[in-house]
Amino acid sequence: MSDDKPHALLFSRRDYLLASGAALAGLIFAPSRALARPQHPATLRELDATSAQGIDLYIKRERVMVGAKPGKAITINGSFPGPVIRMQEGKQALIRVHNQMKEATSVHWHGILLPFTMDGVPGISFEGIAAGETFTYRYEVTQSGTYWYHSHSGFQEQLGQYGQIIIDPRTPDTVSHDVEHSLVLSDWTFEQPEDIFQKLKKIEGYFNFQRPTLANFGAQVRRSEMSAGEVLRMRARWNRMRMDPTDIADVTGATYAYLINGRTAQENPTFLASMGQRVRLRLVNASAMTYFDVRIPGVPMLVVQADGQDVEPVEVDELRIAVAETYDVIVTLPDDAARTIFAETMDRSGFARATLAPRQGMASSIPARRARPMLGMADMGMMHDMKGMDHKQMKPADMKGGMEGMDHGAMSHEGSKHEGIPLTNLPERREHGPGEHGPASITMAESAYRRFMEPGIGLGDDGWRVLTYAKLRARGPLPGRRAPTREIDMHLTGNMQKYIWGFDGKKWSESDMLQLVYGERVRINFFNDTMMTHPIHLHGMWMDLYAGHSYDKNPRKHTVSVQPAELLSVDITVDAPGQWAFHCHLLYHMEAGMFRTVAVVKSLSEEAVHAEH
Amino acid sequence: MQNIKLLLLPPLLCMLHASDALAQHHPTPDEDQHEEAPQHTQKEREPSLPEGMTLEQTLALAAKPPPEHFPQALHDDMVLGFFLWDQLEYRAPMAAQAGMLGWEGNAWLGGDFNRVVLKPQGEVELSEPRALETENDLLYSRLIAPFWSAQAGVQYANSWALEGAYEDRWSAALAIQGIAPGKFEVDASVYLSQALALTGELEVEYDWRLTQRLVLQPRVELALAIQDIPERQIGAGISDISAGLRLRYELKRELAPYLGVQYQARTFESADRTRAAGGDPRQFMALAGLRFAFL
Repeated sequence: MSDDKPHALLFSRRDYLLASGAALAGLIFAPSRALARPQHPATLRELDATSAQGIDLYIKRERVMVGAKPGKAITINGSFPGPVIRMQEGKQALIRVHNQMKEATSVHWHGILLPFTMDGVPGISFEGIAAGETFTYRYEVTQSGTYWYHSHSGFQEQLGQYGQIIIDPRTPDTVSHDVEHSLVLSDWTFEQPEDIFQKLKKIEGYFNFQRPTLANFGAQVRRSEMSAGEVLRMRARWNRMRMDPTDIADVTGATYAYLINGRTAQENPTFLASMGQRVRLRLVNASAMTYFDVRIPGVPMLVVQADGQDVEPVEVDELRIAVAETYDVIVTLPDDAARTIFAETMDRSGFARATLAPRQGMASSIPARRARPMLGMADMGMMHDMKGMDHKQMKPADMKGGMEGMDHGAMSHEGSKHEGIPLTNLPERREHGPGEHGPASITMAESAYRRFMEPGIGLGDDGWRVLTYAKLRARGPLPGRRAPTREIDMHLTGNMQKYIWGFDGKKWSESDMLQLVYGERVRINFFNDTMMTHPIHLHGMWMDLYAGHSYDKNPRKHTVSVQPAELLSVDITVDAPGQWAFHCHLLYHMEAGMFRTVAVVKSLSEEAVHAEH
Repeated sequence: MQNIKLLLLPPLLCMLHASDALAQHHPTPDEDQHEEAPQHTQKEREPSLPEGMTLEQTLALAAKPPPEHFPQALHDDMVLGFFLWDQLEYRAPMAAQAGMLGWEGNAWLGGDFNRVVLKPQGEVELSEPRALETENDLLYSRLIAPFWSAQAGVQYANSWALEGAYEDRWSAALAIQGIAPGKFEVDASVYLSQALALTGELEVEYDWRLTQRLVLQPRVELALAIQDIPERQIGAGISDISAGLRLRYELKRELAPYLGVQYQARTFESADRTRAAGGDPRQFMALAGLRFAFL
């Protein structure tokens, strides 16, 4: 299946002409200004931030080549993505960020536990870094694993201001490997992100070119195993709800190029490993808006870390990486041939691709693209779906048997509770009425239910093993696993027609700070009232994700992906005094208001504190 | 900004507070025997504090709004503007040789919930007698439900003919604009003119996507009046109907040329009045135009 051939053969003559044409244009039109180019074909430069002298990051707006086309990016030390920042657990990180742009910037250390003033969110943790200024980040590194960093100012992240963080553990690494590679997945656009935001706000479905049409009616009938009449009725049903079942991604391949380490699929970044070697791939999804489904056909992936945290190794053939998540996987080339690392977007409108090979210049075939998925009744919290739809959705009766990888020991602890808050066997489903969150929320679902055993929309039907949250089991013991004493319900809400996003029907600017009490253990129940999948990120503190296991086996995450109509619970040990950002990590949802300021305070105050000053 | 008293608190006191807070929420060993909350030997993490600040100071700071000199964390309440020329078209009536230029737009300025909306529409005859008619609604619009805005404001309507007099009319306007189940775009307005004539208009359109870029848009319009308005050749009841079909190709979402047909008729009493005035109450026309938007 994987035949070795020089990668040049994969380029068509037209591509070659385009590429050389662009190069020529570059020579003619930009003779004085050299375009910034990454130094290496695939690997990124590394800097050691816990070295005695620290490191310097220079943030700049620069023209770079993205594929064969020049684009305006934000570079860090001349490259995008920025360099991989290495740190050593237990040491002091010292990072001087020099803003060489004409606008303010910031760098946020995603998933890193640190003093809130070092967290890098302008308006919450600090003032931001003004044009021409330098800000020195200094904090003790108290954890290990794979993380990432990015701008937290406006839309800068979309333009390439991100990079990977690798923290080497103080104690010997629990994961052994022969070679390791950093893979930073991202989405790139030649448009200005501000323009993308305006388009999303003003014309619904601007970037969706996979909508139900007359022309694709036949294809839908064939694919869905439904009769024409049933498809017609289903379309009518979606229309009655004024919803679009193909609204999987707001920003799509219509404008995005998908990159691995800043390289397009056509450039085919190549990572080297010999046959039989244990290769550790450190995956970061640094996209603004794109979920990727990652697989290496013919090579199983052993997931060893999620969000930088050790998990009990679990072998899968494909994993979905939400925006802002990180996964470490171990893979081994079974022979002396090249293999394709294939990262298809969740809405199937495009893909990123790289090659794992024993030598440079090798390539394997690109797998066939799959059809874009469609939302179903299960994504509206409905139990009884129509024939041919959502065969994956399990009825409660099947659920216990169907939950692969779950701790059956935990299931027998019926009714184990602490002050009424259960630690295991959380409620499967909770009802909530529609429309209680005002005009900023289009709520179709009337109930939310557990979906951690599902891999997510459009995944899991290919006959191979896919990762689910239920398969992530923490490798403990982990500190702070006390029973929560307080529960907070939080609805993920949105009006996709007007592109208003928020929590409980409110945008950040309309909201009060969410107060958590220092020292408490709190449970947040997320209810996704929307039809989209949202990656929710809490700064400064871990979220212990309820994944159906015994309490100490639930994985620890900095970003949790919440599926449509999902009820997802996280327990948080509130151990980080200060103010923190808490938001959907889809950049344009965040900027539209799906954001809260979390205040970790001594005691709950009577009066609410507004998030804005 | 910082509490002087807190600055003076000895670090020891702070540590006491910290351990208090933790103890408060820790399950006691006794509880643990019948709970299955796991006991860990590993210690919980020490708080990460900003340089030079105690735990108490940090907690006190966290209870306050962000300092004035901080920028706003998010700009989720931006004022935006949008101008859609839904129709800018040449209208060629089958019965007459003279064509018309017609337009209809929808512009807004504001935030997510509160906007100022402008809805211009009009028609000008491209040959003699070059009559011009426009109706321009300027409304305050508020999002009252996920798919619906309630609007209130004024309409300025005018008509002008080369040899005739310029006439205009102000009306108070109320409207409901939004998307009805079935994805029908609806705009319903009522007008009360200076002369206290009460009229209404209903527009309903639907975008039927034939391909990802080819869209067929049926559209119906209905006008009605509560009373006879002789000077406008309107009789009480339904006065005008029109049905149009436009086929557009979206080169971009915001730029789409189209072709179409439209049938419009004055009805009942209004038709009689038009006939009496020497006009043809029914018209069938071909359309060619451009739909575009400024983002």
